[in-house]
Amino acid sequence: MKLTMGRFIIGVVLFIGIIGLLRFHPWTKTKADTDKKGTVHEGPKGDAGQSLTIGYLPVTCHLTCPVTDYASKTTKSNTNFNSQRFTDFPTVVSAMEAKQIQATFMIVPLAMKLREEGVPVKICYLGHRDGTEIMVRKDSKASSLRDMKGKTMAIPSPYSNQNIMIHKLMQDQGLKPDDINFVVLPPPDMPTSLAAGAIDGYVVGEPFCAKAELDGTGRVLYYASDIWPDFVSCALVVHEDLINERPDVVKDLVRGIAQSGKWAETHRADAAKLAAPYFRQDRKVLDYVLNSSTKRVSYVQLTPTDEELQRIDDMAVKMGILKRTVPMSELIDREFIPHDIEAAAIESDKIPDK
Amino acid sequence: MKQQQKNRFGFLLPTGVVLALLLLWFLVSFFKLVPAYQLPSPADALKSFKEEIFAGRLYNDIIASLWRVSVGFAISAVLGIPLGLWIGQHAASRRALLPVLNFFRFLSPLAWIPFAILWFHIGDKPAVFLLFMATFFPLTISTMTAVAGIPNIYFRVARDYNYRGWELLSKVTFPAVLPQVITSMRVTYGIAWVVIVAAEMVGCQDGLGYGIWDARNGLRLDIAVSYMLVIGLLGVIIDRLISQLTKLPNVRWGYER
Repeated sequence: MKLTMGRFIIGVVLFIGIIGLLRFHPWTKTKADTDKKGTVHEGPKGDAGQSLTIGYLPVTCHLTCPVTDYASKTTKSNTNFNSQRFTDFPTVVSAMEAKQIQATFMIVPLAMKLREEGVPVKICYLGHRDGTEIMVRKDSKASSLRDMKGKTMAIPSPYSNQNIMIHKLMQDQGLKPDDINFVVLPPPDMPTSLAAGAIDGYVVGEPFCAKAELDGTGRVLYYASDIWPDFVSCALVVHEDLINERPDVVKDLVRGIAQSGKWAETHRADAAKLAAPYFRQDRKVLDYVLNSSTKRVSYVQLTPTDEELQRIDDMAVKMGILKRTVPMSELIDREFIPHDIEAAAIESDKIPDK
Repeated sequence: MKQQQKNRFGFLLPTGVVLALLLLWFLVSFFKLVPAYQLPSPADALKSFKEEIFAGRLYNDIIASLWRVSVGFAISAVLGIPLGLWIGQHAASRRALLPVLNFFRFLSPLAWIPFAILWFHIGDKPAVFLLFMATFFPLTISTMTAVAGIPNIYFRVARDYNYRGWELLSKVTFPAVLPQVITSMRVTYGIAWVVIVAAEMVGCQDGLGYGIWDARNGLRLDIAVSYMLVIGLLGVIIDRLISQLTKLPNVRWGYER
């Protein structure tokens, strides 16, 4: 068959048409299908009356998000929670500003920054406690941060509490802010950069510290709990519109997250097994974070207090990350936190082995 | 006869290079010349490749990426080529529009990411928008340049034949620039395929580029490698398809064969 312009254009249109059909499956399209797309597990309560999508990143600080997703589909719940995995915080922020998602996990100073910029968000709960380490190379002789003077260290974002924590430690040890050279790196690249010698150390949330330990390329210099007891990294951030329009859903959400945390605290191996397919991470790494040491992470006492967030806020202002302090009464909403928190009724033996 | 033989065995040379590269990769990881965290082994990549295929994710990601690239590229071709033809023929509009077109051409699609989400939210639309922004300006400008470069003699002859408007466009201008337009389509299509990784950072939940970001976050470089292989392979295949355009009868004369 001879190729002509007309035939070529028909071919292109046919190609795009077929790809479009394969992409959207118009013959099976129903609302339920769209909702289910991207969910890892489907349970008996997949038919709850209402649903909400919550954003998260594959970090252990956000572990309760997929657990709540799973629990809402396998246990009794009025709301079906779908967890939407993001790849970085700037995208999460844009999605929040565009109101594509109205609830998400987020690093605390970034939530304060959003509030400062006039995006009406509130912190309703916390992600977890601790869960952050300062890492150095395995063969490093450093025994304190003072030994890192003149070296290069990576932070995940200027708006991370990790950044604030390491500056607090520098102050405690009498170091000046420019004694250590800081670079911002995406957390997944930190273990490899450390191993390759591009940086001398880093501070970040899990599982990016455990990865370097497991690979045999890094060791822990400080646990967060050594520097800042009950360290807070991320919080559950909810848009005020959602709080005003659907308070019952927010109530369900905070209860779900709280119950998931209570469950994860005591079912750590199961939590790693459950979260691995959501995170698309190696279960071994998650297992290590959750089980190797109790100093690493904790999923209880997740009610934010005014004092601890005020402290973060004050330090962020002092460091020039934020322009002015945000009143805690505007930032925090503890209204939805349940009085008594029971562990989520997840049946461990039913968690699929993927 | 000799020519035919050359064609029949022509595939041997490139296949040999590909096999040699694979062998090199295998040897580098087999003898641990670089540690595994710096370069996943072919075996690991193959394993994760199988994993992704059986989970159905790879198929879904390929369709998603093909859809975004095809739509984004089709929109810029449908708008950009006619615009380029028009600007190319009108010196005044060329003077007026060229600086602006050039300005946008130099903006990396990465710079548009925050706006892509704000304006088009999450899903296919922001990615298509970024692919459009990456391909529209180079395609328009190269079409315009091609038109501006047509020898004046063509138009003088056309005037003798009394060609005007549509006839002039379809009988003289378009055939004269088609070879260059096809080349620039190949080039800009290549840009689109390169940009897909960046474009799918934008709140997408599937796609080959998203697969790479996701594998990175999941600390699974072996998956990232298998996705890179797929992106490269598909790019080559589609480039071959577009290059078929050069076999169009009214294009051949442009190539002096």
